[in-house]
Amino acid sequence: MPETQTLSTAMTPQERTPIAQLLWQGGTVLALVVLIVFFTIVRPDVFPSFTNVRNIFEQVAILTIIAAAQTLVMVVGDFDLSVGTNATLSGAIATALMISGTPVPLAILVALAAGALVGAVNGILVAYVKLSAFVATLATMTTVGGLAYIVTNGTTLYGMPEEFFWIGQERLFGIPMPVVFAFLIAAVVWVVLRFTTFGRRLYAVGGNAEVARLSGVNVRRARLLAFTFAGLGSAVGGVVLVSRLGSASSASANNYMLLAIAAVFLGMTILKSGQANLGGTLVGVGIIGVLSNGLNILGVNTYVQQVLTGLIIIAAVTLSALKSRDA
Amino acid sequence: MTDVAQSATAYALEGVDVVKSFEGVRALQGVNLQVRAGEIHALLGENGAGKSTLIKVLTGLYTADGGRIEMGGEPVEFAGVRAAHRAGIVALYQELSIIPTISVAENILLGDETPHRGLFIDRRALLRRAGEQLARLNQRIPLGKLAGHLSPVQQTMVAVARALATDARVLILDEPTASLTDVEIRDLFTVLRALREDGVAIVYVSHRLEEVFELCDRLTIMRNGRTITTRDIDDITVDEVISTMVGRKADELFPDRGTATSTVTLAVSGLSGRRVTDISFEAHAGEVLGIGGLAGAGRSEVMRILSGAQKRSAGEILLDGVALTRPGVGPALAAGIALVPEERRTQGVMVGAPIQDNIALANLGSVSRGGWVSRARIAELARRSLSDLQIKARSPRQPVGQLSGGNQQKVVLAKMLARSPRVLLMDEPTRGIDVGTKAEIYRLIRQLAATGTTVILVSSELPELIGVSDRILIMHEGRLTADVPAATADDESLLSYCYGRVA
Repeated sequence: MPETQTLSTAMTPQERTPIAQLLWQGGTVLALVVLIVFFTIVRPDVFPSFTNVRNIFEQVAILTIIAAAQTLVMVVGDFDLSVGTNATLSGAIATALMISGTPVPLAILVALAAGALVGAVNGILVAYVKLSAFVATLATMTTVGGLAYIVTNGTTLYGMPEEFFWIGQERLFGIPMPVVFAFLIAAVVWVVLRFTTFGRRLYAVGGNAEVARLSGVNVRRARLLAFTFAGLGSAVGGVVLVSRLGSASSASANNYMLLAIAAVFLGMTILKSGQANLGGTLVGVGIIGVLSNGLNILGVNTYVQQVLTGLIIIAAVTLSALKSRDA
Repeated sequence: MTDVAQSATAYALEGVDVVKSFEGVRALQGVNLQVRAGEIHALLGENGAGKSTLIKVLTGLYTADGGRIEMGGEPVEFAGVRAAHRAGIVALYQELSIIPTISVAENILLGDETPHRGLFIDRRALLRRAGEQLARLNQRIPLGKLAGHLSPVQQTMVAVARALATDARVLILDEPTASLTDVEIRDLFTVLRALREDGVAIVYVSHRLEEVFELCDRLTIMRNGRTITTRDIDDITVDEVISTMVGRKADELFPDRGTATSTVTLAVSGLSGRRVTDISFEAHAGEVLGIGGLAGAGRSEVMRILSGAQKRSAGEILLDGVALTRPGVGPALAAGIALVPEERRTQGVMVGAPIQDNIALANLGSVSRGGWVSRARIAELARRSLSDLQIKARSPRQPVGQLSGGNQQKVVLAKMLARSPRVLLMDEPTRGIDVGTKAEIYRLIRQLAATGTTVILVSSELPELIGVSDRILIMHEGRLTADVPAATADDESLLSYCYGRVA
């Protein structure tokens, strides 16, 4: 029985490794630990406090959702530049519908459907029309960004019904709802990638699409579904965001695209195989979140923050690249 | 005096008691290799015998842990590939090292060799000097053409030309004929013989023993990281070579045939598609049906169409009397037609993924329930495959890329056999595989046939086709030119069908 245990734990494409090995292998995990230790030492009064930790979680919740969506697409070897504007558009649609009197559940449903539709369009363009993911999603990013302006009329929409704020502003057992949603979405993506035949197919397509095809995997459908679910996930992020903010602007979630891709890339470095994986993505999100929160506490201005974020990403990725070269 | 005497007997390249270990595993345990100037010296051994490691030590890619390397009687030490290169040792690997996106001339005079004036490439000198190198090989290849657009043999020639452009005195060729047709192999041999006349020392690594006996002057056989023997080619027989390589008396390479029944499993009529024109044939339960032909004759395309990997423009495929209508690999697999594809590393396995994941990929249905993967079943399936096919691996979780070519091929086989196919299509299943594993695969093919499976085998090696098949089809330019029983087939007649004569 113990033997089956050890065999079965390391079965998925992301082979499980002991913590120590992870640290050694992944400069990325090390970077997160170093950041946490650093900020704890510099501001022991503020950084590790309960309130601030809860703040960090709340701040990264939306990014977690969108990065989890991005992970799906990057597992099949593509990427999606439209997740940011897609989230913006979905949030805007939900808000506009609610303001015009549509029942909250219906408004949310329509917004999610719109997000999934955008994802499906990406998937069709990439998998069936065979455009490169870069070109296709760059185009949809622009188009969808424009649609968000049209829906919001270029202004900021507000005045949603009270009950809608439950999604973004309430707490469940003291946990902010966005964190709950982030946890749920991350858990679903993790389970799907790790424990389902669908997840296996996605990894196979990302590993070698031709081998997957000749093994009977419907490669085009797998890619289409990856993009569609990524669109749906982005929409969830967008809806939670506008609920948390209490308003929807014409570009509210656009910035999340680059951060989400950065998070997934950071996460890819923790595996020897270099595959996108949900656990790694969460580490990436953690680095971005801790860094931005810590620098805020230290009073570093946002422009400098941006520079530092870029440098830290380069450092983490370089470090693990060097490590894997040794191996 | 002594100097003169020494240089007269000195070898162009000599490895003396070379030792190399990886993480405690001794890949080379005292290897001795002597290559003379002006000879073609075959380096033989099963996969894993240490040939690749030896080559990498000789070319400076690895540093030996012990022993020494000498050139012309002088000890040499290489700090890297470039150092070996400068000393005059060049290796051409299986995956050819040409750059497909630049011209032939630029490939021949790559890097430091590129003639330049200041920062700019001297195009006239480039074309002239590249042209000289090709002329030396008697090759007419357009210098301005992109190297990626060349045929495999032309690419090999360009790689050889590049080696010569650097004044290589020792040329190491690792399976140079793996992707060449018979005619192209003739061309290559002509060139290699000319180089031998010029005094170049050539180390020739190949699994194709007929080639070795035709081309080479001497041979050295390796086994388990040691050099077992070095002999003149005239002093040794093929059987001796095989038994020395495997370390035991050569078993009969081809097992008995004769399990074919009269039950038609696969009936193909009027099949057409890219490179395939109006192909019709029937295959029977328990039959091994060989398909031969020159490279590009459409053999692989027929296999790909049957497996659903390539579209057909016309024709009908009946499996046990039922027409296959849904396109794609998935439906064909579900119906019972499985393909072991031609290119192992790019079509057969995900090299970075564990063995068990590779096997599971084509069997997701049987290792899952309701879309949920059962890790226990994946492990069980992998364990069974490892023992059934005697795959040599540390564990089912070892990445396939770390296995030898033969064991990688067994993983591809395991993946498809786990589906218990009615018809198994095998496209060049023994390419680049050592003799021992080849024999295992032949036995396996016959075992499958004995249980009623139909095996369709594409091979460029006529002896293999004749030895394993019950019946042989030959293709020429997309059409069938012959359908003959293997028992009465011979090399010559098959070859003439390959060149278009119709039976």
